[in-house]
Parts: sequence; C-alpha cells; structure tokens
Amino acid sequence: MKHLCQALLLSMLVSVPVSVVAAQPKANPKVADSSAIQVEMVKVGEVEVPAEFQVALYEHLVEEIEKDGAFSRVYRDGDRTAADAQNLIVMHAKITGFKEGSEMARQVTTVSGKTSIAVDCQLTDKNGSLLLEHNINGQVRFFGDNLRATYDFAKKASKAADEALSAYQARPKSGS
Amino acid sequence: MVRITSLAFLSLMLSTSMFPADQAAGQPTAIEAVQVIGIEGTHKNVKGTLQVKDGNLTFASTKGSHDVPISSIQDVVTGKDSQRVIGGTLGTISMLAPYGGGRALSLLRSKIDTLTIEYRDSNGALHGVIFTTPVGKTQALKDELIAQGAHTSIPSKPDQTVATHPQPEPQEKQ
Repeated sequence: MKHLCQALLLSMLVSVPVSVVAAQPKANPKVADSSAIQVEMVKVGEVEVPAEFQVALYEHLVEEIEKDGAFSRVYRDGDRTAADAQNLIVMHAKITGFKEGSEMARQVTTVSGKTSIAVDCQLTDKNGSLLLEHNINGQVRFFGDNLRATYDFAKKASKAADEALSAYQARPKSGS
Repeated sequence: MVRITSLAFLSLMLSTSMFPADQAAGQPTAIEAVQVIGIEGTHKNVKGTLQVKDGNLTFASTKGSHDVPISSIQDVVTGKDSQRVIGGTLGTISMLAPYGGGRALSLLRSKIDTLTIEYRDSNGALHGVIFTTPVGKTQALKDELIAQGAHTSIPSKPDQTVATHPQPEPQEKQ
C-alpha cells in the first residue's frame, strides 16, 4: 500500500510539469514578426581570396540565417523585392584576413594547416544606421576541407545577426 | 587472317574511344560534377552532370535537374584543389586506424578542379554555386559559357603559341 501511494505521488509530480509545458503555445520566441534581413555579397577588399571562398561565405551565411529562423524573411544581395520590406536589417561583410591552410597537413600533423578567415561584419538598418559591428573569425583546425572555415564563420555571423535584431527592436521607435 | 581480324578489331576500338558518340553527333558534352553548395533544394556534395544546353547551364542529378540561364551568369571562375581519395564518414573513421594508418591514408589525394559561378535570378537576387569536377574539365566549360554570353572577372589566358608567333594565318594566306 505504501509503495502504491509513493508511485501515485511520483506519477502526479511527473505529470504536472509535463501538462504545464504542453499547455504553452509552441511559438518560436526568436521569430520577430515582419523582421527581415538582406545579406549583401561578401566583399574581398585588399585580401586575395579564391572565388570559391567568397561564394561559400555568402551562401553559408544566407543558409545559416535562414536555418536560425530569427528573421521572417532573408533577402539576397540585389533582391528588388527587399525594397518593400518592413524592419529590414542589412548585413555588410568584408574579408579582412585570410590564410589558406592544408587539409592534408591538418590530418597528418594535427597541429598545423589551419585555415582561417577574418570578416568584418556590419549590420545596419534600412537607412544605413549602424546597429552592430563585429569582426568574426571562421576557421577549420582538425576535420574537414578548407571551405569548412566559411561554415564556421556563417554560424557565428548568424548569431551576430540575432544580436543586431535585438538591438533594432530595443531602439526607441521614431515617429516617422 | 587472324592478324587482319585483330587489327581491324583494334582500329575499331581505337576509333570508338577517340570519338565518343555524343561528340560525333554534335551533342553538348556532359561532365561529371559535384555540387558543393549553392543550388537551392539540393543537398550539399551531390554528384551529377553539368551540361551547357539550350542557353542554360544544367546540373542534373538523381534528385532532379536545375537550370541556370547563361545570360544571367555574371562571373565564372575556375580553380584547383585536391581531396582525399577516401573521404566522408569512412575517411573520418579511418583516422582511428592503429599505427598512424589513418594519417597515411590521408596522404592519398586526388586533384580536382573547381568551378564557381555567380548569377542573378529574375528578382535580381545574387546566387553563388560551387562545383568540383575531374581535372581538366572546367576550362572548356568556362570557355563555352563565355562564348554563349556569360561574364568572367578572370579572363582565360591567351594561347602561348599565338603569342610567340603573332598572326601566322594572314602570312600563310598571302
């Protein structure tokens, strides 16, 4: 009888928090209504970077921001439909440093052959007012090919985009 | 008689290998390629074929085909790279092989070419695609794309033989 009571109590304790959680709506708290971002093509600047790295940076960036889900819409560079978007944040990125390592050296020695990319990211609103600026590094140290550094950068840059969105939403609303 | 037959057979084999059927018929040549990133709705590192056909650059795989209008391509760049002969999950697991066997396996690499394309869709949005192909296949494809209206930021180098012997054809004609 004692065991039965304990089991009943335990089942009640377990079921209560579950039911509370289930009652809450499943909306993603990160998604801001009608917020949008436009990702501009990554600029090369004075650093010599192979074309595939530049394109991989851009494509991974678009992909990661879409996957992150913080923005209701992600526009690409030059997309004319972005002109009508409300609450638009624009991401400008410029490569400031690049060191192409060697996948073979990484796998043979483990300690050498690192590939790294430094990118200066600026997030502005539609009118060009700066919301956030970060210098983000993407790198691959152990596993993966050299282009994996661009994926590493994109993951970090999507978090920076989230921060910029928070900064944008925290700004006092102007009358216009 | 046996020798004549074998010679005839050999010549037949050589002729078919030197002139593939698609080239002989004037069909566009399809080359094997791997889509690294960029084609929407297609997984990364999907194998397929690249072909210039009807004003489009077509990438066809088992998952479907994707066309890029050549006139919308604003940059085509080729490059060189290398990759592990044993890659993917098996390549990662092989790193655990005893006595440094995995590291030795990572020395086995094959050379590849890369083809990077930037194009704009109907809304003006910029897209980038990266393909890898076997060595020596991308330059011809790039030349074909440029001939059909694609743009490039890195023009192909002029033929060295033409540079050392300027304008040989008019001299021969005279």
